[in-house]
Amino acid sequence: TVLLISEQNHLLLFQKCRTSGSVFITLKKYDGRTKPVPRKGHVESFEPADNKCLLRATDGKKKISTVVSSKEVNKFQMVSFVCLLSSFFVGTGEE
Amino acid sequence: MPHYQTWEEFTRAAEKLYLADPMKVRVVLKYRHCDGNLCIKVTDDVACLLYRTDQAQDVKKIEKFHSQLMRLMVAKESRSAAMETD
Repeated sequence: TVLLISEQNHLLLFQKCRTSGSVFITLKKYDGRTKPVPRKGHVESFEPADNKCLLRATDGKKKISTVVSSKEVNKFQMVSFVCLLSSFFVGTGEE
Repeated sequence: MPHYQTWEEFTRAAEKLYLADPMKVRVVLKYRHCDGNLCIKVTDDVACLLYRTDQAQDVKKIEKFHSQLMRLMVAKESRSAAMETD
């Protein structure tokens, strides 16, 4: 079973041929920061981005992640995700 | 940690939680091939909303909702009309 995540021209292939275990996909809004928030002292001026999100996938061992912006979101679909899961459930479920 | 039995109730609560504070909320999908189930969780580390399924027809709904949330996150305005609650 394969989960395809398409990011611009890069294809991150996440292979999951398993009979046990879980696959986790995490999505959150991302403001583009690359440095941790300072605990105290002066806060460096930082312009938060408003058009990005962070996507992570893992099977508990391998991890992949990517940043998706508003420009890429249209090209970005979890294409294989729906196909693979639909085909899987057809095989196991009664309904 | 409420487990929602109805998809519509889940999406309503999840959208509301996200819009309350977009930077705090994360969406987690957990798929278990061996057990044949998919779980979607939306949380801000205070409230935790869950919907679990083993039904094929729910997979498409979950994927669609996931895409809608992604679009909300990358849209400039936080109150985007891109979100349709069906």
